[in-house]
Amino acid sequence: MMAKDMETAPETLLDIRNLSVDFRTARGRVKALRDITFPVRKGRIMGIVGESGSGKSTVLWSILGLLAGNAEVMGGEILFQDDDMLRKGPTAMRATRGEDISVVFQDPMTSQIPVLNYARQMFDILYRRRNMSKSEKRKAAVEMMRKVGIPDPDSRIDQYPHHFSGGMRQRAGIAMALLTGPKLLLADEPTTALDVTMEAQIINLLRELQSDLEATIVLVSHNLGLIAELCDDVVVMYAGEVVEVGTVHEIFHNAQHPYTRALLECDPARITDVSSKLPVIPGDIPDLTKPQMGCIFASRCQRRMPECRTIEPPTAMRPSGGYANCHLLEGPLRDPDWPPPLDVLTVRSGESAVAEKKAPDGTPLLEVENLNVRFRTLGPVKARLRGVADPFVDAVLDVSIKVRPGETVGLVGESGSGKTTLGRTILNLQHADGGSVKFEGQEISNMPEARFKPLRRDMAMMFQDPIGSLSPRKSVRALITEPLQVHGVKGVDLDREAERLADMVRLPKPFLTRYPHELSGGQARRVGVARALALNPKLIIADEPTAGLDVSVQGEVLNLMADLQAEHGLGYLIITHNLPVVRHISDRIAIMYLGRIVEEGRASEIFSKPLHPYTQALVEGVPQPDPDKRLTHVAVKGEVPSLLNRPKGCDFATRCPYAQDKCRAEKPAHELRPDGRSHACFFPLH
Amino acid sequence: MLFYLVKRLGLSALVIVLVVLVLFSLLYLIPGDPATIALGPRATPEAIARYAAKMHLDEPVWKQFLIYISNAMTGDLGVDVFSDRNVTAVVADRIGFTLALICASMGWAVLLGVPLGCLAAVRPNSWLDRITGVLSVGTIAVPSFLVSIWALLIFAVELRWLPAIGAGEPGDTMDQLSHLVLPAFAVGLSWVGYLARMVRASMLEVMAEPYIRSARAFGLRPRKIVYGYALRVAILPTITLIGMGFGGLISAAVFAEIIFARPGIGKLIYDAVMARNFPVVQGAVLVATAMYIAIVLMSDLLIAWFDPRVRETL
Amino acid sequence: MSVKPSEPPSEKDVGEPPIDSSGLPEHASAEEMRESAARERREKLKMFLTNWQGVTGLILVILFFVTAIFAPVFATHDPNALDIPARLSYPTLDHIAGTDQLGRDTYSRILYGGRVALKVAAIGVSISLVVGLILGMIAGFGPRWLDNLLLLIFDTVRAFPTIVLALATVALTGPSLAIVLTIVIVTSIPQYARVARTATMTLRNTDFIMAERSLGASTGRILMHHIMPNVVGPLLILAAMDVPVVVTVEAGLSFIGLGVLPPTASWGTILNEGYLVIRDTPWMVVAGGIPLILTTLGFTFLGEALRDVFDPRMGKGR
Repeated sequence: MMAKDMETAPETLLDIRNLSVDFRTARGRVKALRDITFPVRKGRIMGIVGESGSGKSTVLWSILGLLAGNAEVMGGEILFQDDDMLRKGPTAMRATRGEDISVVFQDPMTSQIPVLNYARQMFDILYRRRNMSKSEKRKAAVEMMRKVGIPDPDSRIDQYPHHFSGGMRQRAGIAMALLTGPKLLLADEPTTALDVTMEAQIINLLRELQSDLEATIVLVSHNLGLIAELCDDVVVMYAGEVVEVGTVHEIFHNAQHPYTRALLECDPARITDVSSKLPVIPGDIPDLTKPQMGCIFASRCQRRMPECRTIEPPTAMRPSGGYANCHLLEGPLRDPDWPPPLDVLTVRSGESAVAEKKAPDGTPLLEVENLNVRFRTLGPVKARLRGVADPFVDAVLDVSIKVRPGETVGLVGESGSGKTTLGRTILNLQHADGGSVKFEGQEISNMPEARFKPLRRDMAMMFQDPIGSLSPRKSVRALITEPLQVHGVKGVDLDREAERLADMVRLPKPFLTRYPHELSGGQARRVGVARALALNPKLIIADEPTAGLDVSVQGEVLNLMADLQAEHGLGYLIITHNLPVVRHISDRIAIMYLGRIVEEGRASEIFSKPLHPYTQALVEGVPQPDPDKRLTHVAVKGEVPSLLNRPKGCDFATRCPYAQDKCRAEKPAHELRPDGRSHACFFPLH
Repeated sequence: MLFYLVKRLGLSALVIVLVVLVLFSLLYLIPGDPATIALGPRATPEAIARYAAKMHLDEPVWKQFLIYISNAMTGDLGVDVFSDRNVTAVVADRIGFTLALICASMGWAVLLGVPLGCLAAVRPNSWLDRITGVLSVGTIAVPSFLVSIWALLIFAVELRWLPAIGAGEPGDTMDQLSHLVLPAFAVGLSWVGYLARMVRASMLEVMAEPYIRSARAFGLRPRKIVYGYALRVAILPTITLIGMGFGGLISAAVFAEIIFARPGIGKLIYDAVMARNFPVVQGAVLVATAMYIAIVLMSDLLIAWFDPRVRETL
Repeated sequence: MSVKPSEPPSEKDVGEPPIDSSGLPEHASAEEMRESAARERREKLKMFLTNWQGVTGLILVILFFVTAIFAPVFATHDPNALDIPARLSYPTLDHIAGTDQLGRDTYSRILYGGRVALKVAAIGVSISLVVGLILGMIAGFGPRWLDNLLLLIFDTVRAFPTIVLALATVALTGPSLAIVLTIVIVTSIPQYARVARTATMTLRNTDFIMAERSLGASTGRILMHHIMPNVVGPLLILAAMDVPVVVTVEAGLSFIGLGVLPPTASWGTILNEGYLVIRDTPWMVVAGGIPLILTTLGFTFLGEALRDVFDPRMGKGR
């Protein structure tokens, strides 16, 4: 579906001009938004893209007057239907909310009231329609639920939010937002909390609804792929300012601003050359409690000039009406060779040169064979009472996987795939119900803790929540050296070790005295790496190593891990659902669905020639940061089935576009091909 | 839902049995002959013999326990040692006064405390909020038996606005009500503060939840958001805490009955203790405990009624 | 507080741009960080001092400790010295708070009563806290059956309103301070244990405990090093709020004759004697009640202020 051209110049529905917002915080006044200006044209989808601290969500809340109590609008106007939203009285504002302007929220699990069913919630939203009877309201609500793809809406509308899965809840949220037929729909990271396959469905849904209802949408996201898939126009924000505005094609194919350029280059979904390090924008956003001089991006820009720090960058207009603020584009410092063609990298990639990776060899560090992990769902008494014969779920079913020294194996799966359980079982934190786990040839599954403890020195884990996985009342130094204390390593100067490890992960020494809540996500991750390295492990299992990190900085952690691997011959098992990242860093990839491995092979092959339909769905479902490569149709429908309700036959048959009768009746076994790839499908794609 | 009810009832019954067990064991843990202990050093040998016979003290301990339990289930809680009346009858006489006191105290505390807490939460840091805050902490901190004494002093003794002791003439509602005012005020006062704070804290927490922001984004009226959405969720932990804090209410009620000489269960227990009338003590304590457990059970059921998630997990 | 996989560090509150909490850019110098930490400490102290409730509470608490410990120094008379001719007198210069029905100086008796209160509070709260902490951690961290068992025991104990348990016990054992203490301790343990248990259970499922286990840390180490430090804080604040309860229980039981026995001076016994002569003179109940109120108010204000400053999350009435 082609993005609409700006030439037809439709009218402007929402006009944001010179918006400035401050927040009064304990640290002082934070100038969160400065002079934000851009138009939103009717019938088009506008995307606001930015990383953490960019202020993109703040812009959204300003439109509806939903800013937090400590926010202060310092200036500007937001014009909507001849009214300035910033100066509207509370009653008038309330009349607009939900009626003319609606919101789809980020996390459907927390943004819907849990104690009222959907019918009630939707009646409440329609409270202004006094001429509608109750049954008419219900009809409208049910119709909207049907439109967003909720099956059996007439009975499901009486259910409570906790009866709906994540994807369904988001659909319900969209239904609630569209119920009153608003002129403008605001969407705050609408797919961030969803799985990849569900994300693709919601993207498609939004697209269809927008063209059906001719709605105008403002979409806020940090995900470049999502923006490229859906939007017609894009605003790029950095540290509270707009740095570039343009159509989606202009931004993705002809970015003018150095930050936009850098952002695109850092996105792993765009990077085709997987052998080099991931690019990174070094540094951090500036302290917004201090006044900013010159260009906001100057401190991190690769092309900065002395004037950039002192003089405000001029605005270079685009013929379509967009603009970008940069000295390189306009004025005396203009550089006619900027921007360079798309294949030239403007950002540095990592801090050191690409280290040569030794080819993985030798006996596997980790060898998992036919591993099974079951969880009990009901106590024996209750199970008997309810007539449930087998009150268990198989979280991990017949999984086999290998990691060799110096190799990175990526374990990919969505929620419910069992990947985290697998990681925990390998580390003996979870009881295994069958199969074997061998470390360096030695069987370790269900080993008693006393015997297993020495092996913990060789196998370390990095956890998903960087700050949450650190004990809150311990200093960084204590945390890093704790492994040494736990294992009673003698004759070591703990302080020296702490400093050595901090250096290894490139964490400045002053951080050793800090506490976890004083660290940023990236810093906390590095502490996690340091802890994992403390005892010189041979294998590291990393659970979502890039969760919570901005695209422009996630490269730092990943490059660090790659360097360490090259230096020490570490093996990595990376558990993630982030496909672009895993493609970049893995040698081999295993795909998990509902507790089973459905495909395994070399990373490049998995992506270029997926064998299993689910793999194909994942690979194709990732939103590409290129508006020319939009997803044309969504092949995979429905949701991941619940573990409690494992389908008969192939687990994926309920959603597979190629499913045949055989698939629905029998479970396919693992098949190992001569080329080293394996899969579990009756009708592989190649 | 049914399963939940059954489970809770079962648990409650278990707790009551344990309570009786504890009372029984207290009797036997103390060295000496149980009859002598129960009746005190001045009891006559005949009284001891009568008591021993009535309490089946010749039987093994566990049998006595079982006899007591089975009797209790049929409503026979033993016999008052001094008056020879059925303990059940004695208790039944007095329970009405205690219930009236508890209901009145809790009633006015809820009627005043919950709205105050709501209003304070909706207007944080306003003068209303600050005053409510200080008063809440103040009323929680002051011991309720002291409030009883001082209320008695000021309103009954010095000012003579209200009667000091007793529960009033039977049949004369106005008189009974006037006797209820001071005790209910004293017992309920700390609860006003407690409830106001609880509701305020709960409301503040709920109002910060994302789904409240959603409600605002949909343009719902402020009153609907506060009472229909926020309070509906915030009331749940409040109900739990009321259930848990009820023990304190009963304690305060017992003191109030003693101080105002109100003939309720509390005073009954106290007098029986002083007179070493152990069967009455045992029976009345059992009833008081059962009352408390029943109230906690009701509060749990109320919560299940309000919160669909609770209903289903059980 | 888990971070979802593809989410950037989110703007948690609509208001806060998520720069790291000290507001310093990543590569700040050690100087700047020390300054920032010091600034934070000063902020907390300021917060506490400007909270008039906290300051008042602190003053009252200090007053309580000082007068109780140094009672002999502040007393004007021997608390047990009889002086029948001067009985039931109103406050005079000689007897600052008047005399009771046996002519004893009320003011001095109040001071010595404070000692009883202090003893009960100190012993009662500390034992309850320690036992509650241990039981709560065990219940929260150990196997399910143990948790259920402990919960059942706690529920049973809490099923008794304190006074009722006290009455039942004293019916058999006779009144004494030791019994009061025991009852106070036994009925207080459940609340400490509950808080400790809830805190432990919350922590048990966090990533960092999982991380410790993946290191190989033993259960004992986890409990001592990682769980206890995070649990003790709320318990200490609970203790501050519990002192008024404990003191009140002692006073209440002594008031109805089940605790401290005359002639020992306790705030409860003073009130008891005052109640008996309430129609003759109001002064004794007033004088006996004032120290009780001041102490309970003091500890409550202090506890509230501490909670506001150090653990705002806890101020949800839990």
